[in-house]
Amino acid sequence: MLIKESLVSAITSIKSNATRSFLTSLAIIIGTAAVIAVIGLGSSAEKALEQSIDDLGGRTLYVSPGQNRRGAVTKGMIPLDIKDAEALARNNEHNWRISPTITRNRQIKFGNANINERVGAYLPIHFNVRGYDLEHGRLFTEDENYGRKRVVVIGSDVPGELKTNVKNILNNEILIAGVSYKVIGILKEEGSTGWQNPDDELYVPLLTGAQRLFGTDKVDSINVGISNDHNIDAVMMTIEEILRAKHDIGPGEDNDFRISDYSQFADLRRQATGIFTALIAGIAGISLIVGGIGVMNIMLVSVTERTREIGLRKALGATQRVIMMQFIVEAILLCIIGGIIGILIGTSLLFLFASLNDWPYALPISAVIGSITFSALVGLFFGIWPAKRAAKMDPAVSLRYE
Amino acid sequence: MIIKTKNLTKEYEAGSQIVKALNGIDLSVEKGEFISIMGPSGSGKTTLMNIIGCLDSPTNGTYHLNERSVSELDDDELAKIRNEEIGFVFQSFHLLPRSTALENVMLPLKYAGCSENEAIKRSKKVLENVGLQDRVKHSPSELSGGQQQRVAIARALVNKPSILFADEPTGNLDSKTGNEVMNLFKDLNNQGQTIIIITHEDNIASQSNRIITIMDGLIESDTRN
Repeated sequence: MLIKESLVSAITSIKSNATRSFLTSLAIIIGTAAVIAVIGLGSSAEKALEQSIDDLGGRTLYVSPGQNRRGAVTKGMIPLDIKDAEALARNNEHNWRISPTITRNRQIKFGNANINERVGAYLPIHFNVRGYDLEHGRLFTEDENYGRKRVVVIGSDVPGELKTNVKNILNNEILIAGVSYKVIGILKEEGSTGWQNPDDELYVPLLTGAQRLFGTDKVDSINVGISNDHNIDAVMMTIEEILRAKHDIGPGEDNDFRISDYSQFADLRRQATGIFTALIAGIAGISLIVGGIGVMNIMLVSVTERTREIGLRKALGATQRVIMMQFIVEAILLCIIGGIIGILIGTSLLFLFASLNDWPYALPISAVIGSITFSALVGLFFGIWPAKRAAKMDPAVSLRYE
Repeated sequence: MIIKTKNLTKEYEAGSQIVKALNGIDLSVEKGEFISIMGPSGSGKTTLMNIIGCLDSPTNGTYHLNERSVSELDDDELAKIRNEEIGFVFQSFHLLPRSTALENVMLPLKYAGCSENEAIKRSKKVLENVGLQDRVKHSPSELSGGQQQRVAIARALVNKPSILFADEPTGNLDSKTGNEVMNLFKDLNNQGQTIIIITHEDNIASQSNRIITIMDGLIESDTRN
């Protein structure tokens, strides 16, 4: 019953000084809103990242040319070629999907439109390795690859860039570096992965690109698609063994190629997001502490204003503990109300940002519970001193306070 | 014997000076008495009320309330005695402005640890006894001065105290309402309630059974009507 009385008294006091209470809890509101929005955005970004990694259909390793060093002498870039990819493809120990790529920028013409765009030469399996889906038409086939056919699949943004539409461009000829190619398929919108935009790219069969378009059998990189449950280290070792044998690299010599893991980029990005989140949440935490000082200040004012009330309550039999509880409850309530308003604002901001960025909406419940708890602790901590002052008041003196 | 004090003294430090507010008060009060304590301001009558009302502790001397020594009790024990044994009525009513009459009267019962239902029941009964049964849900600002003082009296009585202290209870009231309040005190006294009124008005004091005059921290006179 005493807790209820403390609560009722606290609510009455906060309500009767509504403006003051609101201004006091403003710092708590802003702090909590910032914590919620930032933590929510952090986890939304992470979830978006995870989704885009899942979209890759497992993990993709990325084998690229490296430098060949003998001692201190660098012998320049040692290229990877189509034969390396074929050697990898012959191994089926890990059930991997090998997709070599050659990409260059080339002049593209359609009607009056003339743009410079990235053209990539790939195996048909590439779309599967990267998890790209077809929107219109069809993908090119193995036969078209071996036949070096002049066919092209284009990214979803390309028709727009060529100032035309799907209907006009599909099954029509476009000029790539002056040679005509038939547009056989258009991909679904994939969204940028951060370092390349698959929607802008044009895709031709690997051998078509190597011979007709680029005149080289040196590949830029070889994508190695594996499923998520594979041991990444074992896969890397197999790649190393095959390529070292192919490139005649003796024991003790360095690799002349590099193997990187797409998910390493993801890890880096996740780490950066994590650091950023922690930093902003820390700053917001400081705002909560500053808010706490404001609460303490206003509680001291409230205690002084209510000296006579405190005297009366003591005369009626309130013990020090009861008076103390009354003011601590008021301070905690002030902070919790601020916290709740802050959470509502923070959640709205998060919702807004997440939908603007097309991110999934993720807010860990622990962040909500955590910020309410933290607000309550701020109220408790900064409420103790004013409450103690109230409790220690001399009833005889405070009853006659003017 | 409800109150028995012996050689009660109280000293205050005011800056570097020590002010003696009480200089050795010997006072005995029997159950059922209706006493007025008079004296000019600065005489020590308020200090005396604070000490026998357990709001303050004496510097020296002994004080027995209901045969129990209270001069050396700590804050919490004094709070318990104030809650159970003493009812206060003040000149400026001292009601919580944002609580209803009923909530104001319930307050001592809450501090006593009484259940809500019990507290409501008892508080309504006491408000009825002071004639405010139809003002239960009103807040102080909706009540007249006399009604506010009667709420305060109900609050002082709700825990069935041994003594009812009233510090200038009619000081903020017009003479007609003041008389009504005094009549209420006389009724209560007739029902056996021990009452001590602090006043400087002769016509108030004359309505009690015993008048004690304080001067310079000492009892100057103690007369029974």
